[in-house]
Amino acid sequence: MSATFDDSDESKPYATDPEWADVIPVQQYEGVEPIAPIFYTEEYKDATDYFRGVVKTGEMSPRVLKLTEEIIHMNPAHYSAWQYRYRTLLALNSSLEAELELMDSFAIQFLKTYQVWHHRRLLLTALRSVDAAARELAFVARALRTDAKNYHTWSYRQWILAHFNDEDRLWPGELPWVEELLEEDVRNNSAWHHRFFVVWQSGVRRGEVDREDVLRRELAFTKEKISLAPNNPSAWNYLRGVLDHTHTPYASLTSFVQPYTVAAAPGPTDDSVVDLENPRPSAGAELPCVPALEFLADIYEAEGGEATPKAVQIWKSLADERDTIRKKYWEHRIKDALHGSQ
Amino acid sequence: MSSFPRLARTGHTSHCKICLSGLPFSQVEVDSSRIALILYCFGTLDLLGTLSTKTSETDRQKWRDWLWEQQTSGKHGTGFKPSAYMTPQGGNDEYGDYDAPHLIMTYAALLSLAILRDDCSKLNRTGIVQLIRACQHEDGSFSALPDGGEADLRSVYCAFALSSMLDDWSGIDIDRAVAYIQRCSSYEGGYGQIPYNEALGGTTYCALAALHLAPGTTLSSPETRITPAERARTIRWLTQNQTSCGGFCGRTGKLADACYCFWCGASLSILGAGELVDSTALALWMAQCQYKFGGIAKAPSERPDPYHTYLSLAALALHPPSEGASSWELFPFNMFWNTTEETAQWVRDHVPAHKA
Repeated sequence: MSATFDDSDESKPYATDPEWADVIPVQQYEGVEPIAPIFYTEEYKDATDYFRGVVKTGEMSPRVLKLTEEIIHMNPAHYSAWQYRYRTLLALNSSLEAELELMDSFAIQFLKTYQVWHHRRLLLTALRSVDAAARELAFVARALRTDAKNYHTWSYRQWILAHFNDEDRLWPGELPWVEELLEEDVRNNSAWHHRFFVVWQSGVRRGEVDREDVLRRELAFTKEKISLAPNNPSAWNYLRGVLDHTHTPYASLTSFVQPYTVAAAPGPTDDSVVDLENPRPSAGAELPCVPALEFLADIYEAEGGEATPKAVQIWKSLADERDTIRKKYWEHRIKDALHGSQ
Repeated sequence: MSSFPRLARTGHTSHCKICLSGLPFSQVEVDSSRIALILYCFGTLDLLGTLSTKTSETDRQKWRDWLWEQQTSGKHGTGFKPSAYMTPQGGNDEYGDYDAPHLIMTYAALLSLAILRDDCSKLNRTGIVQLIRACQHEDGSFSALPDGGEADLRSVYCAFALSSMLDDWSGIDIDRAVAYIQRCSSYEGGYGQIPYNEALGGTTYCALAALHLAPGTTLSSPETRITPAERARTIRWLTQNQTSCGGFCGRTGKLADACYCFWCGASLSILGAGELVDSTALALWMAQCQYKFGGIAKAPSERPDPYHTYLSLAALALHPPSEGASSWELFPFNMFWNTTEETAQWVRDHVPAHKA
């Protein structure tokens, strides 16, 4: 069972609590009339008065842990309380693993607060424990079930992995896990991004030494995902990212892209010729799709010469018909290609 | 087109004035970044031109006084605190470990004071440069606090903006900071919050503005820090973020959010491609984000706040619709410092040490 915050109502004001009678509360200074003052509750005022009192004397004790816990529960962005809590944990030689556990449900409740994640980073950095890091990866996976695209949560995962980059046992689960997430939602750009980080940005892992092989695997994976949902910009961006990163010409994918740039053929397609290298758009896909047209135009532009007018023709169709919100962008591409401003 | 909606200028001014007068306890999280909220309120009034007409000189003087009270000095130099939420009664001569100045709040305070047309005679310039230096890390990044705290592109941007406002770059190791920014670049074309993070509109703005603000060094210049191929890729990703509803999203495949209309739109402007924004579609979408009692929300039928109100107006100032009445006219805008051009001029005239 994971620990949770003590929500009991029995807590009395610090001002009347005999356990705190030895601390002199320090009120908040407001010299001149404040701009945009917060109308504090009595409970918050009471707790923060005692917090300032504790900071003044420098007390670091178990009761300070309780006090800071209560304050961050009322105001999770109170970074001074977080800072003080962290240093108190160190001063008391408290179990940092227990602190991480204590913060689990809290983090999920306040997924969007920076401090929640920063605190975990500090704890994990101090722990220097691969076991703790593995536990954190599992926690992040749980947190992402609440919000699969939460930026802080993803950022924390990438930080953990980069921080423990040499710990091989943390890494093998990453790709299968990303694949699971993409099974659930093939449009989850955070998952695509994470895949790029794991495959291309974090060094070469065991079993991935043959980079040609890795490239083939990634292209096959991405093409298959595109065939399932051809209008998914995340998959196309990943495809471009992989090609750019490996300096692979876009033209090598011409035969894959072409079927996505034309209206779906009426009637059944010729299934007798299944080209595993080039999966075709799934039945019912909205075709032609914008990212494929854009990709094909890029191929023509790179080819240049007689292919340029073909690129221009595609951009015109995007500007005037298929992607009018970006009309000015496509016109800019036409101008660039014809006048070679770059 | 006579049916073009109006920008509800009066309502947006009122929304920000109400926030300046006080916030309910449900907003308590604002306390540790309160000057930022104050900047969004002042910035809104500045863009609408209502600061001198809808607020009194008595109010403005009180505001200046309060802002100066947040300037604090100590062992890491000088800067501004987000608010007095950790300041002990009776004040203190020097800050301690738990009420230290904050880099992002220092940026926000300086712009707020410039909007209020303060002469900045109380500004401790050398102290701020010392704070900037104290916030830079080995890897080139900056944290918001001198004693740690999260380090990412937001603080990097504020360090660069402050240095350019002060016209003093001695607090920054520019080459190392530039290398850090480049490490945040993602395959999609945008920049993540820290290295290896997903491309995000807000941090992409921070990266591009910082790369353009910093003067050239022996290793790089504003012109060479981004290659033509990188520029093309970033422009592609930024324009891809304008969704069919007219608003921008901050990441691929997400829903439009008013704040990203600024972060992505201004990023395009910095790259010299601001004209690629469909500004009419943008304004029509913004009109739907306006709340009936004033203020602009992140999306239609959401609650407004000063952050989205200000950034929406800033986006409109950079990318005014080609149609629509005079209600959409806003003051010329400085995309690098994120303020009106008039306020930027005030900064140039009053903030650098050689102007003091």
